[in-house]
This record gives sequence, structure tokens and C-alpha cells, in this order.
Amino acid sequence: MEALLKQWRTRIVLFLAVVGPGFITANVDNDAGGIWTYSVAGAQFGYTLLWAMIPTTIALVVVQEMASRMGAVTGKGLSDLIREEFGFRVTFWLMLALVITNFGNVMAEFAGVASSLELFGVSRYIVVPVAAAVVWLLVVKGTYDSVEKIFLVASGFYVCYIVAGVLAHPDWRAATFAMVTRPEGTDVINNYGYVYMLVGLVGTTIAPWMQFYLQASVVEKGVTIRQYSASRWDVIVGCLFAAIVAWFIIVACAATLHTAGVTHIMSAADAAQALRPLAGEYAYLLFAAGLFNASLFAASILPISTAYAVCEGLGFESGLDKKFHEAPVFYWLYTVLIVAGAGVLLVPNFPLPHIMVLSQVVNGVVLPFVLIFMLLLTNDRELMGTHVNSLLFNVIAWVTVVTMIGLTITMLVTQG
Amino acid sequence: MSVVALSEMLGASVRDASGSVCGRLREAAVSPQEHATRVAFLVVRTAEGDRMLPAEAVKSLGATVRATTAASTWHPFLGFDGVLLLKRDLLDQQIIDVHGRKVVRVNDVELYSNPTDSHLTLDVVAVDVGARGAVRRLVMGLVPSFTLRALLEKIPPRVIPWQYVDLIEIDPARRVKLKIAYEGLSKMHPADIADIVEDLPPAEQKAVFEALDEEVAAETLEEIDPEVQVSILESLDSDRAADIVEEMDPDAAADLLGDLTEKRSDEILKEMEPDERREVTQLLEFGEHTAAGRMTTEFVAVDDAGTVADAVEALRQFDGSSEAVATVYLTSAGNRLSGAIPLVRIAISPPDMRLQSLSEKASTCAPDTPEKEVAELFDKYNLITLAVADEHGRLSGIITADDVISMLRNG
Repeated sequence: MEALLKQWRTRIVLFLAVVGPGFITANVDNDAGGIWTYSVAGAQFGYTLLWAMIPTTIALVVVQEMASRMGAVTGKGLSDLIREEFGFRVTFWLMLALVITNFGNVMAEFAGVASSLELFGVSRYIVVPVAAAVVWLLVVKGTYDSVEKIFLVASGFYVCYIVAGVLAHPDWRAATFAMVTRPEGTDVINNYGYVYMLVGLVGTTIAPWMQFYLQASVVEKGVTIRQYSASRWDVIVGCLFAAIVAWFIIVACAATLHTAGVTHIMSAADAAQALRPLAGEYAYLLFAAGLFNASLFAASILPISTAYAVCEGLGFESGLDKKFHEAPVFYWLYTVLIVAGAGVLLVPNFPLPHIMVLSQVVNGVVLPFVLIFMLLLTNDRELMGTHVNSLLFNVIAWVTVVTMIGLTITMLVTQG
Repeated sequence: MSVVALSEMLGASVRDASGSVCGRLREAAVSPQEHATRVAFLVVRTAEGDRMLPAEAVKSLGATVRATTAASTWHPFLGFDGVLLLKRDLLDQQIIDVHGRKVVRVNDVELYSNPTDSHLTLDVVAVDVGARGAVRRLVMGLVPSFTLRALLEKIPPRVIPWQYVDLIEIDPARRVKLKIAYEGLSKMHPADIADIVEDLPPAEQKAVFEALDEEVAAETLEEIDPEVQVSILESLDSDRAADIVEEMDPDAAADLLGDLTEKRSDEILKEMEPDERREVTQLLEFGEHTAAGRMTTEFVAVDDAGTVADAVEALRQFDGSSEAVATVYLTSAGNRLSGAIPLVRIAISPPDMRLQSLSEKASTCAPDTPEKEVAELFDKYNLITLAVADEHGRLSGIITADDVISMLRNG
């Protein structure tokens, strides 16, 4: 018994030593855009989309595990590996696309920050500049360890949505069964809007930036292959938690908005607003606070992750341990992403939705490439040694990739 | 003589003696065993597989490569074992810029093409790490070659001459065959080597520490961030790790071994020479954050009955760090500390002068003094070195100012 306890203690210590990258990445994925998608899914289709959470979570785990394993085995970032294996030209276009899509995401996050605090009556002309300054300083002045701790705490705040979900008093039985049963009524399946929503739900889950960020932070944390089994749990637990949060958001909106027939939701802040009369003051506050946390959190990660990926891939000096004049491209890219991403929200009549659509399109085009590169790299024996993908893993991963590509193309076609 | 870029050569169609196209250029190989910079052969992808076109048979280069021999005489390409492949090993890979003291990524490789007798000799002269190589590779094939040349002329070159390039090869056997010895790197200041090593991925860090001279490796290791130190020592085999640890300052070695797992540090200690092992083991027994944990056991101590000449002789014999010689310590019977003399006073005194007449009272502290108090002592008395003496007044080690500085910086 004592031996067993000791063994568990060792395991927990090992786990705590590497926890962070996987957990944080999966949670940042529930950003302003994600929360909005889940809210709409719940409001329009009730519990009928919940079944999609299981395959989506599996796909997320599979993709994230590859990024994390590559980081631990090679000690190099994803953009480094793509550059070394696939050459300069491919890397250049990929990085350009990554900057565009991530810039769109940064704007979306700052929009989330602004709209969530506007619910509390604070003007965006105050919120946005302050948030931008906080983000810039946090990352530039903080160390990796301290920033990671802040991010882990921010991940914990997603519990807001779980509490809000409980406060919405959903039909637990129906919600649980909806995960494993075929949605009733074929009219739902044949509904164009339903398929469109399904595509959006899956599409919002796996994004290109996550792979770059996750692999880079595994490397930065110095996780080696010996600690890797603990790191794998970091990824799995992170993805599960993120999926549970998403589930509760859908359920909360399904139990209230869908039941009351409120289906027109333009943003995540809209969802919070709509919840107010239906789920009560607390659920509303939790939704709004959760959105603020999620948006600020993602806004802190996206610009720095982009700057690292681009500079490493293209061979510019990078790293927060360098001074501004030693790594000018790195710091400028980082700063411009934040300043411009936040700044556009203060421009009256800025065509934000158009830019977001463009960014989504680029996102969709980049994703298949990133996933295929990852699969090629994780199957490269010269690079990964004995840690190449197993056959079963490859099958799941390729199915994921092909499905993702198919869904993305569908989304792009339907959007256009 | 003209400069060609590797990226311009690759993909060119290759015509053999008969004038017919027999394949495309895929690689250029240097054989360091024979010549450090000269291209030994080109690899041509033909319908029958990859073939080696000997450099002596290359008549001209350009959009087409012309050879003076028949394709049937070219031997199959056997792999990268003993040769440096310019595309595989350099293009897009990281190298160490010895002159600029940093790790950089290669955008292109520049070669001198020189007509000699009936063929071309190709020599690697530099690697391009700037915008010129990047733009060339980005737009090559998309715009006419003369437009590209004109465009590239406008971009200031950023190249590293070949003699300042140190390659990073993680396979030890291949490192030997390619004669990669990190000569340039070893000549740099250990603190600069440390900065470079910290920028490398773990496998490459290991490679550098396997190849560096033990003494340089030890000095470098002392300058590296503690977490990276640990991961490097864990990755090396214990024999090599012990060789490096032996060369380190005993106090730094003890700190480092204290950070390793007990199993690993025992393995390394077992491989060490008995003398070094004893010193380090003693230091390991003290807490890391005490005077004894911070002290070094390498210092200059002379019998207090001696003369300046004796002290000079002791200094000659001393092979510890140069920080430690700032003070010469005097001991009486039983290794009891009786005084201290700053190095300057030894230097300016006649050889027959008695040491006792120069002696000052030595600043000391107990082995279990917390490091915070050690720092306060240095500050208060403006010390360069501080003696650590046990309860019987025996001199067990000294702390030097540079230890205190790193102690304060690491908080």
C-alpha cells in the first residue's frame, strides 16, 4: 500500500513538472471565436450537436500529441522542422499565411476583451489600450515560468462556464444521451444550417497556431523524451478539460436560449446578454467574465507565438532574452501584431467582419498543410527515431487530417 | 573565377559527354578527408538512380551542367556517410557563426567556380545568412534570371566566410569523418560558447559537449544556465561527464552534481579521479546555500614561516582559477589559518622578505554561514576573497567575489 502511494506520488510529481503546455494550448483554443461558436451551436440546435464533441476531442488529442511529441524528441520548434525538412520557399509562404490568420485571431481576441467589458459598462477606448499594454508587458517583462503560472491560473478560470452551465439548469439526462445517440428527426440532419454549424464546431477546435505554440512551449519548458509520458497526460487532460468547458457552454445555451427560441447571436458577448433574462444574473456575469478571461488569455499568447514561429522558421534572431536591437524583427512583429490588432477596434466603422472572414479563409487553407507536414515529420525515422507514429495512430491521424481538410473545404465553399 | 550559389546549381539538367540530358543535379558533396572546401562530386538524379559525377568531369555550370565523361561511368551514390552534403547538411540548417558568435540559419551556400585545365573546380567560400539568399530562393524560377540577378545586386550581402562556420553534427562517427572538431568554437570565450550552446536543441548541445576539449567544455559548462547544465550532463555518458566535471571548479562541480539525481551523480563520481572525487564529495555534503557549499577548495596556502619566494613558488604550482589567487593564505601547523596577503603585496616585495611581516588578518567565516551573510561580508569589508575556516580554525576553502556575483544574480 505504501509502495503504491509512493509510486503515485512520484507520478504526480512528474506530471506537475511538465504540466502546462498541453493544458494551456487546449484551453486557449476556447477563445472568443470558440465560445461564440459553441453558444450559437447550443442556441440554434439545442443538444443535437453534442455528439460531435467526442470525435472532435479525439482528433484534438491526436494532433496535439504529435506536436508535443515532436517538441520533446527533437527539441526544435515546428517552424524550425518545417524549414529544415521542406525548405525555405514553403516555410516563407506558410509563415506569411500564419501571420495573416493569426492577425485576424488577435483582432478577434481584442474584440472579445472589448465587448465583454462593455457588458459591464466600460468603454472600449479605455479597455483596449490597457489590455494591449498589459499583454505586451506581461510577455516581454515576465519569465517563461511566471507567465506559464499566470496562464495556468487563467485556464482554471474556465470553470466559470461549467458553473454557468449548472446555473442554467439543463436537462442532464437529455444532454448526456445526446452525446451517444443519433439526433432525432432526419429533418435536423438534412438541415443546411446544421451541417454548417457542425463544420464550424470542428473547425474552431484545431487551428494552425496551436501546433506552433504547443511545440514551442514544450521545447521552451525543456521537456525531454524521458519525461514524455507525463507530458502526454498534460495534453490529454488539457484537451478533456477544454472539451468539458465547451460542452457546458453548449448545454447552457441549449437549456436556455434554445428552449426560449433565441437563436440569433452575433457574438460571444451577445450570448452572455441573451442569457441574462433566461439563466439569471449569475450565469450572465460568469459568461461575461469567462469571455473576458478567455479573450485576454488568447490575446497574450497569439502574438508572441506568431513572432517566435516566424523568426525561427525564417532565421531571424528571436527570444525574449535578446535585446530589442539584437532581435528587431522579432520584437517589431510582436509589437505590430498587438498594436494593430488592438488598434483597429478603435477605428470607427472598421470592416472587422470582412477581415475576420479573410483570416478564417487563410486559416482553412493553412491548416491542411500544417497537419500534413506534421504527419510527414512525425513519421520521419531519421528525425523521430523510435518515436515515430504507430500504425493505429497514423490511421486515426490521417482520418483526422482528411476529415479536417474536407470540413474546411466545405466551410470555405459555403462561406464563399 | 566566379561565385555561384548552391540554390542556382540545384535542379539544373545534366548533360554527359554525348550531349544528351541524363538527369538533374541534386546535391554537391565535399569530402573533408581529402580537401576541406573543394567539391569532390555532384550527385545527379538519373533514371537509374542517384549517380556521382566526379568534379574533375564537370566542364561547365549553369542552367545546364556539362560533363566530360559518359553517364554510364558514374558510380552509384552510396549515401552521406563520409561526405559533407551541401544541400542536406547546410541549406536551411543551423550552423555556428564563430565570428559573429551566434547560431544562424543558412539561406544559401556560395561557391567559387574556377576553370582549371579542362574542368571546373568548385570551392565552398561562404554561407549566405541574409536577405540575398532568401530572396533568391523565394523568387528563383518565377522571374527571368537576369531580372533576378539585377534584383539581388541591390541587396547587401550577409555572408559568413567558410572558415568561420562550425557545423553541428549529432552523429559522433560522422563528426570524426567530416573532421568537425569545433576549432573555431573552442577559441571563443567560454561565456560566449555558453550563450551559443543555450540556443541549441538538446541533441546538438550534447554533440558540442562531446566534441569540445575537456577543459573548454568544463569552463563553458560553468557558464551555462543550471537547468541546461543538468540536461547536458544527463545526456552525456558518465565517462565523458566525469572527464568534464573533473576539470570544473570543485565548488561549481559540487553545485552541479547536487542538482542531478543521486543515481546519476553517483555514476559520474564513480568515474572521476580519486582526488577530484574526494574534494567534490566533501563539498557535496554541505548545503548548497551555505559558505561551504559555495566555496572552492582550490586556493593558495603557504606555511607562515616561509618567504615571498615560497609564496611565488606556490603560485607557480597552482593550477586553479585565476580568481582564487587574488589572496595568498598563510597557515601554521595543522593547516590552521594564520593570515592573508593580497597578491599585489607579494608581487612588489623582495623574494627574501618573510611572509609574516606582510601578513594581514584574514577575513573568515564558518562553513555553515548562510550565503546571504557571505554576501554581506563581501560588501561590508570590500573583499575579493573570503576564507572559510572550521571551528578549529582550519582553512577548508575560500569564496571568491565572482562566486558572490553569480550567487546574487541567481537570487
